This record gives sequence, structure tokens and C-alpha cells, in this order.
Amino acid sequence: MANHQGGGGGGAGGLIGHASLPPPIPAGDQTVWADAGPLIVASCSELQDGELIHAENFSLFAAMSALEIMDPKMDSGIENSGYHSIEEAIENNIAPVPLSLDSTLDVQCILDVIDHLFSCEATWHKGHSLAQTVFSCIYLLRIERTSPHSLLHSYCRIMRAICNALVSVVSDARTNEEEDLFAMAYALPLKGEGDEKCLSILNSVEETISRQLRACRAQSSRKKSLEDIEPLQRNPDLEEGYCRALLCRLRFRKHYFHVFMCMRKPHGKGLELARKHVALCLSELSYMSKSLEFLRSLPYGSFQDDIESSTTASGCKPIGFDASLNSTLSAPGPPRATHILSWKKAVGYFQKLLHDLDFVCSFNMEPVLEDVLHYVVQFQKLQPDLVARTHLQILLVQDGKLCGKDSFHDVISRALALPELTADKEFQKNEFIVQLGQLIVSLLKILCTNIAWQRRKLGKILQDWGVLSLQLEMAFKREFGDRLNVMVDENMCMKVSRRLLIWTDEHTYWIASRFLTLGFELELYSPNEYCMVYWYMYVVLMRLMEKMQMRIAINSETCKRKREKKKDHAKDPARDGSLSSSSLLIHCYICLCEGLAMMLAALHNESKAFQMRSPFNGEEERFSQHFDLLQKAHVPDHVSYYLFKESTVHARISGVVKHNYFREAQRITSSLKGSFAGDPNRMLELQQLEQVAEHNRIALNVINQVGADDPSLRVSFEFTHHPHFAMAVVKRS
Amino acid sequence: MTELSPSEIEYVRYGGEHHLPLIMGLVDRELSEPYSIFTYRYFVYLWPNLTFLAFHGEKCVGTVVCKMGHHRNISRGYIGMLVVIEPYRGRGIATELVTRSIRVMMESGCQEVTLEAEVTNKGALALYGRLGFIRAKRLFRYYLNGVDAFRLKLLFPKCNPMLLATSNKNGGDDQPVNRL
Repeated sequence: MANHQGGGGGGAGGLIGHASLPPPIPAGDQTVWADAGPLIVASCSELQDGELIHAENFSLFAAMSALEIMDPKMDSGIENSGYHSIEEAIENNIAPVPLSLDSTLDVQCILDVIDHLFSCEATWHKGHSLAQTVFSCIYLLRIERTSPHSLLHSYCRIMRAICNALVSVVSDARTNEEEDLFAMAYALPLKGEGDEKCLSILNSVEETISRQLRACRAQSSRKKSLEDIEPLQRNPDLEEGYCRALLCRLRFRKHYFHVFMCMRKPHGKGLELARKHVALCLSELSYMSKSLEFLRSLPYGSFQDDIESSTTASGCKPIGFDASLNSTLSAPGPPRATHILSWKKAVGYFQKLLHDLDFVCSFNMEPVLEDVLHYVVQFQKLQPDLVARTHLQILLVQDGKLCGKDSFHDVISRALALPELTADKEFQKNEFIVQLGQLIVSLLKILCTNIAWQRRKLGKILQDWGVLSLQLEMAFKREFGDRLNVMVDENMCMKVSRRLLIWTDEHTYWIASRFLTLGFELELYSPNEYCMVYWYMYVVLMRLMEKMQMRIAINSETCKRKREKKKDHAKDPARDGSLSSSSLLIHCYICLCEGLAMMLAALHNESKAFQMRSPFNGEEERFSQHFDLLQKAHVPDHVSYYLFKESTVHARISGVVKHNYFREAQRITSSLKGSFAGDPNRMLELQQLEQVAEHNRIALNVINQVGADDPSLRVSFEFTHHPHFAMAVVKRS
Repeated sequence: MTELSPSEIEYVRYGGEHHLPLIMGLVDRELSEPYSIFTYRYFVYLWPNLTFLAFHGEKCVGTVVCKMGHHRNISRGYIGMLVVIEPYRGRGIATELVTRSIRVMMESGCQEVTLEAEVTNKGALALYGRLGFIRAKRLFRYYLNGVDAFRLKLLFPKCNPMLLATSNKNGGDDQPVNRL
């Protein structure tokens, strides 16, 4: 039966029936069809249990990719509605247009479709595929069918346009490494001709419904309506409620569309307008929430099983959706469980998304790099999802420039407090400057990724930053000898080299400290590892502070010389003050790290409860694993497990009390209140640090009084106040 | 929970095809990730010495399925599946199964052992933590049900005879293990 064109299906046709057989696959130039029946029959009779036919490219390892057909855990096609295609579902009236011949029911059904799409959209954003969520809507899959129904049609068009816009933005930004399900849109009809006009179509539908609302209010207050308007639906008692419910949904969608269009304008030109649309979106969301009571009170349709987790405001099942129809379009492999978020949770999701986008829109587009880094770190504290993070990333790095305006060599020259180098071609072409520019771009993009991914990438780029630091240091020493701390008689070349080295070192340690603190946010450390982590943080932060203080010294030296030469203050005193405050904050962190490391070490040394014995390895192996990337990058150099042990082996609670680390931290937080008065985020952090310091100081005194080896003492460490600094909780049993 | 003493549980290395349905039955019932029979065969055929079963009389109550190989020039063990049925949890059976397998990996020259576990699986995280695993990475939405995972890693000491001697002693004795 070789070389049959169109006959290669063998006997399979008899089982299914010819009507629904797919067209047979034709043989190609290099292939023939051969009947494998006899081979399979012979194998079945000869193979023993556990034996496998294998070949060069089909081994046991390859066989693991096999899917068992009809196993619901693996076969995404098995749980389906029974329809083999979208057309078959449509023929069976799954997605009628209009949704009902009864105008009231039609409106109700459209509201359910809109609401379910809203829940699907939130589910998509939270990490599921478009095919299993938004595009489980048959109306969206065959938009042309909806043309006779202007409301449904306009809503579908704008949904499609928004999905398309977001998929493009996220794909282009490539922020979405492990979240690649978001942008998977294979074979989905995402683009439509004329979609750029979707807003004007929606506006005209909104205008019609607004007029219907005005007309029904005029009627109810017995005023004569100026226009003869056909009502939305047949029940006059429900007209106002339905009009309002529809209007807030349409308006939300319109303003939501505008948010993204404004945010995409280059150089942040649309950010202010975007914020206004965000505010309007939030207002319409609250109207949508209010409509829930009205919609739930209407008796019609079939309710979803659990009304509290229903995907529509009314609680009723929407018509026109079938997630299984796209199973052939989904990613090859086992089906991912797609549980559509409830409508209430979807409202919550969009509220959060809009607040996060508002934060992005409030970004100052004339930034100093230090401020940008601080801003991104603050943003990540909101735990933003992919869409918000992508929009911050594309704002920060556009066309290879910071905020689309400043090339990175200019950014560096300003960061080095040498703005006179901005137009200097030699400076721009310097290999170190070019390399550093690339590292900064990469760092900004990494800081916009999800924190699990981010930490891994930060650990990896430490090598690159460490290598650059080393190269700069070697170049400096070759050129100028060991004069890093000497600032007199320096020419421009020496000035640039020194500042570049200090700045690169400082930011290498900044990356290292973020790498370590993210470990707390990701819950990567167990309590018996806190001691070594705080110790390492202490070491890294000390280096960071040292470099920051060198930068402060350089800045103040420059200021002094300019004053002496009676030149204008090119320096910004506010910026210098901010740098000093930041350095002082790092000092506060250092006190807390040292206090915690020594307290934990003392507990380990004095109390059996804190000792851990593993059968397979010891503390040295765990130290080596946690800090492997830092050690490989020599960030910092000469740090080892033995140094850690030397520093901590003699720690005793009484000694830790005497050193007053936590009191020192409290003194610093008090002194910083003036500098941070205008910044609510910083003030909040100061409060948290104060709480941690106070609680730990008291806990330490209690432990000291009772005795660390007292068997009734139970000490645990919790992150109640600050995500990175633990608070000791002391109990007695 | 039936009272039983540690000596009532018999630990047996994978012995052949007759063990496969027992292993598959346990794993299919208890774990959310889908595995075809080929996955099991891959593990037990190539590394039969790394799969162990726990029996209470005739009943198979737990199993661990592992493999080892090279990853970037490092010899590494991998714990694929670990299951103990519900009525038998909390008695150290899982710890014992894993410990046996890890001991074989160590004796075979592995430098480290790794596995993934759901971030919400407190029992597994505590078990592996006690054995010396660290949480090396967090993997965002790793599982099909959308839950994050930790990549857990155990690094064996490089060449520390004291540590090796201690670990052999602990591993060999039939000591009571911590409750899960």
C-alpha cells in the first residue's frame, strides 16, 4: 500500500465514519506510507512486559514525552464539549446572534458575555493561555458573525484590539521569560482589519445607550423626552438598571484601551493623560461592582454552581464560550488546569493592575539613574504582574536609551558627576563605557522581571559586573598606580577612571545586596541559614557603604573646588544630601544585619535548639551553595566559610547585648526622619526598621536574662514588620 | 492512625517488573503531575538501584523513584517521585526511603542531589531541609496547576573524611527518624 495518495488512512475510516475524517496526509518526495500493522501484531505477541521497541531516535528518554491518549491528565482533547470544530458548535446554536430574540434576555446575555470575558481576561493575565481564556469565546473566534449586533460586535472588536496590543507589547519587551504563555497566540484571530477604528464604533454604541438612559429617566420623571428613542429592552422597570450596567462596562473598556494607547506614546508623553484614564477606569469599576446587586436580583437563565465564585455579576452561566474547541491550538503537551477567576476576583485584579499602572505613570521622566533604580525597587514591592512590569520596562528602556531620551553614555557621565563629558566622543567610544552601558540596560530589564527569575539573573550578571570592576581596577593601577584615594593633581583621565571604578564597584555590591534580600522575599532561606545570610549581607553592605562614601567624598571635593574657583554650583546639593541619607540607611541595614547575625550565632553556640545536624552534609556545604554565585564573582573577594565561622564562633548573647547593634539602628532611623519626611515609602520603611530593632533589642535582653540554654525558652524568627529583617519572638513553655 | 513500630516497615530495592504496577499505582493516586508508563520505565530500567519501596506486610505503602547523571560536568542525583500513602505518613517512612536512595547516590560518586517541590508542600520541604537540602531557586508557576516550585539541592562534602564518616554512621544505623 506504499505511495498511496489520499489512501493512507488504512482501516481507520471504518471506525469513525467518513463524514468526520480529516483529509489524509499525502506522501512526500522523501517519504512513503507503509503498513505498520504486521510489525505491531508480531511485536505484541513477542514482546514481554516491560520491553520496548527502540531505535536511534526513540529511546527510553524520548519515550517519556509520550502522552497517553484519553488520560485526562495528559490528553487535553479528552475533556471536551463534544464539538469537533467551532463551526459544529455554531451549527448547534452555542453562540447565537442575537443572543436571544427576547430583547431583555438578549441584553442580559450580553452582560454575561462581557462579564465572563472580563474574568477570562484577568485569568489570562494571571498566567494562562489566551486560547483557554479570552479566546474560548466563540463570538471572538468568529467576529464577523457578530456584525448585525452592534453592541456585541463593538465590544468584541475592542477586546480583540486590546489583546493584540498587549500581546505585542509583552512579546517585544521580552519581560516574560517564564511567563511565555501570555504571548502565545498561535492561530488565534488577534488582528482584524479596521480594528484601529474599534474605539469610534464603541463610542457610537455608548452614545446610543446614553440616550436610552436619558430617555428612560425622562419617562420615569414624567418629563417629555426630546427624542423618540427605542428602548434597550422591553421591560421599562429594568431599563435604567440595564443601561447603567452596560454603560459602566463599555466606559471601563474604553478608558482601559486609552490607558495603554497613552502609555505607549514615546518619551512618556502620554503618562499624565494615562493617569486620568486610570482614574476613570477605577471609577467605572466601582459602578460595575454596584451593578452586581441589580443583576443578581433578576430571575432568568441558569446559575453557575457556586454563585460566590461565579464568573459573571449576575451569577448566570454565559453563552457562547467553549474552552475545549481550542485544545488543538494549545501548547503541545498536558493540559494546564485553567480555572477562570471569579468576577469579583477579576474586579480585584483590575483594581490592582490599575493602581500599579498608575505608579508607572507617575514616573519622573527626567531621571537620575540612582532614582530609577530606587523607583523600580519600590515598584516591585507592589508585587506587580506581567502587564504592569512590561509597561515600566518599555518606559525605562526605549530605542536603547534611558526613557527614550538619554543615551547610556550620557547617563553614565551624569552618574559620575562629570556632565562635561556628555558630548565627548572619546568618552562615548571608550570600551569600558560601552560595556557598562550594556550592563546597565540589561540590569534595568532584569529589575522589571518577576522576582524569582530576577534573582537568578542578578546572580548571573554579578560575574559580568565583577569582571568589569576588575578590569577597571587593573587599568587604573596600570595607568596611575595605587592612588585610588588620592584626589589632588588628578587630570581628567584619572578623574574619570577613578569615578568609573568606584561607581561600578558600588553598583556591583548593590546588585549583590538585592540578590541576597530577594532570597527572603522568595522564602529561599530556612531559619538555620539566617545567620550566614545576615553575615554575608553585612559583608556586602559594608563594601556598598564604603563605595557610596567614596562617591560622597568625591562629590564634596568637587563642590569645594568649584566654590574656590567661584564657579556655579554644578552640583545639586539636594542630590548630595540624598546620597548621604541613602548611605546612612545602608548603615542602618548593616547594624541590623550584624545584630541578627551575631544573635543567631550566639543562639547556635549556646542553645541546642538552634543546632542542625544533617546526615549528609554540614553547614559549609549549605554556605557554599547559597553564596556560590557571589563567590565565583569575587563579590566581595576573600570571603569564605572559614571567615564566617571565625567571625561567629565566639558569639555569646551577653556580648551581643553589649554591642548594642539594635540601639544603633534605632538611633539612625530617628536621625533619618528629617531627610525622608517627604517620602511616604521611605518613612514607612523607617518605621518598620524601628519596630524590628526595638523588638530584637528587647528579645535579646530577655534571652540574656533567662539564659540561651534554658530549656523552657523558645525563640523563633518572623518577618512581621520588614520583609528582609527578621524579628525574634521569644516564648517560654 | 495505626500504631506501628519502625521495624514493621520493610524497605526493598526495586526488584523487577512486578514492582512497577505498585509504584505506578501509588504515584498516580497521590501526585498531580501526569506520568506515562514510559516515564516509570525510564527511571527503573536505567537506575533500578535508586528506586525503593516500603512495605507494611504485603502492602506497599511508599516509594521513591530516582535517577542520576551528569549535568554540566557534575555528577548529580535527581529525586523524581516520593510518595507515602496517607495513613502511614508522619512516621519517617519517606525520610528513610529518601535517605536510602541518597546513600546509594553518594556511594556512586554523585556530587549533589536535586529535586523540585511545590512551595506549598511544607512536609516535603521540612523533610529535605532536615537532610541538608537548601532551596536553591524558586521556579515561577512551575507546575501545571500554577503553583511555584523550589529547586532543592544537597551538596555532598568534597573530601572531608570526618563528615563522610559521620554521615555513614548516621545513615547506617536504624535510628528513629523525626516525624514529618
